[in-house]
Amino acid sequence: MAIKSKRYQEARLEASTNLELYWWVFMRISGLVLVFLLIGHMWMNAVLVDLNSIDYEYVAKRLSQTTWKVYDWLILALALLHGGNGLRYVLDDWVRDPAKRFWTKVVVYGLLAFLFFLGSLSLFNHDFGVN
Amino acid sequence: MYRGREGQWAFYLHRISGIGILVFLILHVLNIASAMWGPEVSNAFMKFYHQPVFQLGLLVLIAGVLYHGFNGLRIILMDFTAWGVRYQRQLWYAVWVLFVVFYLPFLLKIGGGILGGSHGD
Repeated sequence: MAIKSKRYQEARLEASTNLELYWWVFMRISGLVLVFLLIGHMWMNAVLVDLNSIDYEYVAKRLSQTTWKVYDWLILALALLHGGNGLRYVLDDWVRDPAKRFWTKVVVYGLLAFLFFLGSLSLFNHDFGVN
Repeated sequence: MYRGREGQWAFYLHRISGIGILVFLILHVLNIASAMWGPEVSNAFMKFYHQPVFQLGLLVLIAGVLYHGFNGLRIILMDFTAWGVRYQRQLWYAVWVLFVVFYLPFLLKIGGGILGGSHGD
């Protein structure tokens, strides 16, 4: 919905309210999807195989298949957004000092962005050399 | 609902498991991404994480994921149905039933591996 406020302070209030609502909806939808993706992920890699047999070759074989690239990337993207926003709720609750809260968020969001970049590179950029 | 008893426990466990999962996700992505630096580097990490203490950690993690997921479904039911909040306590017990059913296979498989001295060598 377009912002109707004429003053910056009001506009910010209005905008953040809508954004909060979108995040609220996102947490439910991504959570529901992640339940199924993660049970499948854990089942395939910890019940169907002995997880101690997992090595470079096992990972290379899996990540050279498009299906698992997409599957794992969905988990990566949804989990980082869901977890990042969840941690934002926690930090808003637990870190009372505004300056400390701000810098904690800068560090946390930076770390999560780096993880997203690194994980995406592993899935889509790296050639595992398996046919 | 969030003051004392089941509702408050559900809330705290949801938070703690959520934070724990995020910490694991960092280690997990770094471990898998190490494959980009070749088999030697990757296998060194894998071997490190195959130690029994990390397998125990994985059992704790899986418990966290299953609880967080099923309690998340409980939250969705409370948000979107007319009866969810009224039956939140019963729903929480249903969460634990689902938890046990899904956790047993992981516990048997990974726990059996630890007791059997399995560590990937």
